[in-house]
Amino acid sequence: MGARRRIAAVTATVAVCALLAAACGRSANSAGSSATGNISPTKGLVTDTQAGTKTVPSVTWAVYRDVNSLDPIYAFDYPENTADSLMCESLLRQAPDGALQPGLASVATPSPTTMVFTLRPGVKFWDGHPVTPADVVYSLDRNTDPKLGGFYSLVFNRVKSIAATSSTQVTITLKQPDYWLQGELASVPGIIIEKAFAQKQGKNYGTPAGSIMCTGAYMFKSWNPGVGVIAVRNPHYWNSSVHPLVDQITIKGVPDISSFTSGMLTGGIQGSYYFALSTLNQLKSSSAVKVWQGPGWSTDAFIVSSFKGVLGSLKVRQALSLALNRQGIINSVYKGAALMPRWLSNPGTFGYGKSVFTAAYDGSPVLTQNITEAKKLVQQAGATGKTFTIGTSSQLANISAVTGDYQAAAQAIGLKVVLKSVSAQNYINFFIDPKARAGIDGFLTVNYGDYADPAALLSTLVLPGGSQNYTNFNNPQITAALEQARSTANLNKRAALVAKAEKLTMQQMPWIPNVQPTSLLLLSKGLTGAVASFAYMFAPWADGLGGSG
Amino acid sequence: MLVASLLVASFVIFAALYLAPGNPIAALSGGRTLPPSSIAVLEARYHLNEPFLAQYWYWLKNALHGNLGISITLRENVSTLIASRIWTTAGLVLYASLIIVALGIGLGILSGLRPGAFDTSTLVTTAVSAAIPAFVAAIVLILVFAVKLGWFPALGNGTDFLSNVRHFTLPAVALAISSLAIVARVTRASVREEGRREHVQTAVSRGIPGRQLIQRHVLRNAAIPITTVTGITIASLIAVAAVVEVAFSLNGLGAYLVLSAQSKDLAVVQGISLVLVTAFVVVNVIVDVLYAVLDPRVALGSRAQ
Repeated sequence: MGARRRIAAVTATVAVCALLAAACGRSANSAGSSATGNISPTKGLVTDTQAGTKTVPSVTWAVYRDVNSLDPIYAFDYPENTADSLMCESLLRQAPDGALQPGLASVATPSPTTMVFTLRPGVKFWDGHPVTPADVVYSLDRNTDPKLGGFYSLVFNRVKSIAATSSTQVTITLKQPDYWLQGELASVPGIIIEKAFAQKQGKNYGTPAGSIMCTGAYMFKSWNPGVGVIAVRNPHYWNSSVHPLVDQITIKGVPDISSFTSGMLTGGIQGSYYFALSTLNQLKSSSAVKVWQGPGWSTDAFIVSSFKGVLGSLKVRQALSLALNRQGIINSVYKGAALMPRWLSNPGTFGYGKSVFTAAYDGSPVLTQNITEAKKLVQQAGATGKTFTIGTSSQLANISAVTGDYQAAAQAIGLKVVLKSVSAQNYINFFIDPKARAGIDGFLTVNYGDYADPAALLSTLVLPGGSQNYTNFNNPQITAALEQARSTANLNKRAALVAKAEKLTMQQMPWIPNVQPTSLLLLSKGLTGAVASFAYMFAPWADGLGGSG
Repeated sequence: MLVASLLVASFVIFAALYLAPGNPIAALSGGRTLPPSSIAVLEARYHLNEPFLAQYWYWLKNALHGNLGISITLRENVSTLIASRIWTTAGLVLYASLIIVALGIGLGILSGLRPGAFDTSTLVTTAVSAAIPAFVAAIVLILVFAVKLGWFPALGNGTDFLSNVRHFTLPAVALAISSLAIVARVTRASVREEGRREHVQTAVSRGIPGRQLIQRHVLRNAAIPITTVTGITIASLIAVAAVVEVAFSLNGLGAYLVLSAQSKDLAVVQGISLVLVTAFVVVNVIVDVLYAVLDPRVALGSRAQ
């Protein structure tokens, strides 16, 4: 329910590639050999980097476009999340490995439909005002205020009431048990802002004209659209065990990959979580840059948006999945920064019940290529020679590259593909406009949930009424397993139920997973200490950032 | 003329953007499914639920009062957003113009006056560089002068005047390089042509000294076509600047215009377009005034023949 789609906003800059990156083309055998055969969920991946020890005067941190808002209820994409999670904190916190921890508050569940949050002693905003239950209630209620039109209102659909129940406690009463809500409250929807400050700012809160008031180790200084959002060290941070080391961090939008690359190489940019980076190998080989790969929480997948055509046949979907050259995608699109999938969700999302998840995951088959088997399935389905349509955009380099891989896969097993290409900015309509989806059988996405749980993404596409369930897919067993997981307190039991749902989903293939991207962290030489996993999107990532000793 | 141009341009751009596919609410919500009540609130806030002419009238009325509206994506006044970027583009275009005028016209005159090896090499160089699009120039310049040599920064604006000059040098060269070649070639051709004119030959035969001959008889007459082509190229830089701004991650108007058009942020597109149209008209007026200065036969308000 909390999952969202992302279009890698990467424009096709062919000439840029040719000159700046040695291996930019789409040769299937190009570099990225380090990841070949790397299918284990955690092998070679780091969740955290060694904490910095020296102070640093200034760091410029690149995001793929400019920040549009600093108001967490409108934070829906990489730039906004990166800026908000640098400065703001949620009620609970996701550790770099995805585990849920106390944040500004700790949580207790006296009954399956009651959650009591107790504020940690001493938590205060940048201006020194203590965080009160009224601030918490106000911040959470903003998510569902129809006048504000926030993006997270669905997250709270099982909430009956949110109320301050003592001077340090807030109680959430639920209509039905909902253990997924805690994950959301450790993510962007759970960010706490100061009520009096936000009310005074009114419409200007979180805009370039206004300001924000949060609690984190870095505090907002200024925002000049087009130049960047500047955060400075908070000398009075409430958590005395954290000592921020960077005087000033500028979050800067750098949409152009070649500009980003030369910025990293020349030191104009000192850090980033850039993704799907065509120049990754060039950056890796530079002595000026250090690259880490951490667990990713996103999935690169083919959304089957209509079962009316030939993709309505399970055998055809399975055949297409079998025929796909996933290693080719890992090498050429991700330059090695992705894993072969076994499930729909990325194994990086195993934030709880890790041993249960890992055992179930390792017992599931890897989706390797097998053209012979795929051809057989197509013949059995009687689909040879039939056509399906992929919605794509030639302006989105990665989307169009993977579309090409699907064309090749279909061709190899006797299917035909028609492309319906739209402009980059209209690609989003495939997700939101049924008219845009009319006449197409599927399209590509990179999709992730708000917190470390495979169910966060899975539930959006397999549950009836899910926000990305375009085919009205409904499998009673999967639905039952996920609904039960949502109401199960015990973490291992919950993990077992979600694992069951993932396995059943792979038998039905409502979507076809392509690859599981890892999370990239790039830092200038001499810098260290940033979170390396995808958790950076939802929890403070620069608390340990600083110079290496 | 300025007012008429602005009015027509604003209407055409507004209409084109209105008709273009896409939905600003979708851009705003990142494609998330919003509850109908939220969509209604947003549409009412930005007058998206009203008919086309009403929307345009609403915008025009506000614009006449100096209010260019609010950016949908940033929820900030368009005039503030433009003001924070205008100096980047202005500085970039000005810097590039200086390079074009100084180097382009200079090279053109020199090679026009001195046939031989210098002239030939200028011809070859300008033929090549005229064909280099700004984005290719940007990549090569970054690769050589920022990444390999480290002489100039690869991206971003500076903080004070000197560091701005440093930051803007590569972008300005990238922007100027192909226009520079064209201006140089036109200058060379017209200097050559004037040099062969009868009155110049007569002046030569009368023994008028070289410097005076060139200044009074060759350059003065050659100045009209040079001014025309320089004016046009500089005006066109304003549009090309977008490409260079993206390549160097500068916060200029051009890059912002592209971004806003993509997300259908109508008020921003309108605002920037007005600034660009105004700049274009102003450059042309300056060229017209220069004609009159250079050639007294050209009266202001009429066109040079």
